[in-house]
Amino acid sequence: MTEVAPRTPHTAPRTVSSAFRIFDLSLGQMLWSRRSVFLGVLLGGPVALAVALRVISAMYTSGFRINGAMTPGSTIFGMMIWLLYIRFIVPILGVFYGTSLIADEVDDKTITYLFTRPIPRRAVLIGKYLAYLVCTILLVLPSVMLVFFLVVPTGGSTVAEAFPPLLADFAMLAIGLAAYGALFAFVGTRLKRPLIIGLVFAFGWEPAVLLFPGYLKRLTVAYYLQALVKHEMPQDSAVSMLLQVFREVPSVGASLAGLAVIVGLTLWAAGRAVESREYILEQ
Amino acid sequence: MTARTRYFVIISTLVLTVGVGTGLVAYYVGFPAGAFGKHPGPEELQYIPRDAAVIAYANVQEVMHSDLRQRLHKVLPAGTENGQAELQNLTGINIETDIFRIVACMYPDASAKNTPGEGMVLARGNFDEAKIEALMRDHGAHVEDYKGKRLIVSDTVNVDKPRTFALSFIEPGLVALGTGNVIHAAIDLHNGGDNPQTGTQSVTGNEELMTLVNSLDTGNNAWAVGRFDALTANAKLPANISSQIPAITWFSVATHINGGLRGTLRAETRDEEAANNLRDVVRGFLALGKMSAGARPEMQAMMSSLQLGGDKKTVALSFDVPAAVFDAIGAIHHDAR
Repeated sequence: MTEVAPRTPHTAPRTVSSAFRIFDLSLGQMLWSRRSVFLGVLLGGPVALAVALRVISAMYTSGFRINGAMTPGSTIFGMMIWLLYIRFIVPILGVFYGTSLIADEVDDKTITYLFTRPIPRRAVLIGKYLAYLVCTILLVLPSVMLVFFLVVPTGGSTVAEAFPPLLADFAMLAIGLAAYGALFAFVGTRLKRPLIIGLVFAFGWEPAVLLFPGYLKRLTVAYYLQALVKHEMPQDSAVSMLLQVFREVPSVGASLAGLAVIVGLTLWAAGRAVESREYILEQ
Repeated sequence: MTARTRYFVIISTLVLTVGVGTGLVAYYVGFPAGAFGKHPGPEELQYIPRDAAVIAYANVQEVMHSDLRQRLHKVLPAGTENGQAELQNLTGINIETDIFRIVACMYPDASAKNTPGEGMVLARGNFDEAKIEALMRDHGAHVEDYKGKRLIVSDTVNVDKPRTFALSFIEPGLVALGTGNVIHAAIDLHNGGDNPQTGTQSVTGNEELMTLVNSLDTGNNAWAVGRFDALTANAKLPANISSQIPAITWFSVATHINGGLRGTLRAETRDEEAANNLRDVVRGFLALGKMSAGARPEMQAMMSSLQLGGDKKTVALSFDVPAAVFDAIGAIHHDAR
């Protein structure tokens, strides 16, 4: 007679299905929150700039010039990707949305409603993280797409030539959003005043460490992310020139592995923090 | 998921799908170069294959209606008018009114020993297609079809490298004539636009060349630009002569023809030292020219209009020949007759 083993509880499917329920709930909340106005302005800026550049290009057929030389649209697009998206928009979206995944529920005192449900606590974090990822990707990538079609066909460059690097840009931006989001989700679940810490990290620590030679730059997301960028780094300021001089570019494989470790490790740590931390709601 | 969230997701995905789809079509099939934006220079550049060593442009209408042309018309011998009339009889083309603008390109052929390279002229205007085709057929040309375009082909006799000379009306009002290979490439570009996947790319994607075209296109009604080193490399010059030629990489000539003749000759050298050497040579020739001008006022006016300029690797020689100089030359010519 064979003995039937006791059935183990289906924790993994429960976490996944619960995470999708939270994702479904959070996506709408994220999209139509006050923060989305800020997100719209942030992502509408490059599009408005691209429209202005296109109008100028149509009015003056001499095209854009940098230091007297005509600059192809693909170069301008590359500069916009570097200066607007990689150095500013992606980190700031990560900071604002990542740190608020759990913190907002704590501030609104609604975390209790989620944590008293019969779902694993980490499913709340994973669902909200997925909602952040979908929300930001669906906003950032169309914005980049519009900028691409507005800027690239000017100054002699063609869509066909610039298209393969655009796909690489999409992948790089999605990975960047995932990495910054996971990192700041961890900061949001673990530390007090996560927004300030996040801003200091993204706009203080990362640019400062990248300026100097040494191993400290490996403790940044930008170090791995910038290695995935196909465009030439613009030399728009003394800081950019220093960045160029001390730039160590890891291989694409090493960068992807580094970013995967950042995402995996920080999400795991954030999940652990959510599971173990006791949230005391201030009255 | 609420309805408006769903709409947002659908619209956003749609923008991405349409964008990626358009990009894929542009990459694999190609789009006409002007589909998303305007490139500098005349629109015919989109039919010129990428690796042109020289491209030239002339706004024929502006030149023909310029004051300078009218003045020259009065002083030139009557034989030129007969030539124009004969051309009109044969082809139906009145060059005074029927040709709007011309764009030409040249490709040196390193593999051929004594033959000139390949080339093409694109002329925009009003053409009597039937008359031109009949004329070519009378002279032994035959008609071929290339990707839906009618080609009138004439085989040229050349011992070194046989070539075909072809003519095609690639779109209404635009005729391309030149060597067969270049005409084929122009038709490929007309049909499919830039397509890096198949290797058909127009000169509009040649950033170095387009930067120069852009600098010449404003305020000039005729210009030419090209790679000087590509031309000299294929010129098969004797070693003692080629070693004396300055290390020029790019050259350009741009003129504005109206009351007088104003323009700039520009050369870009390999390095600053070569530019300085070239400037010294030009300075020497200018001094010699001014000495030779002597007491002839028309020559003095012309020589004094020459200005040497440029910086770093660029050497520029600008000139501004007033209409009075052409009047004086015309008077001399008239007296001589």
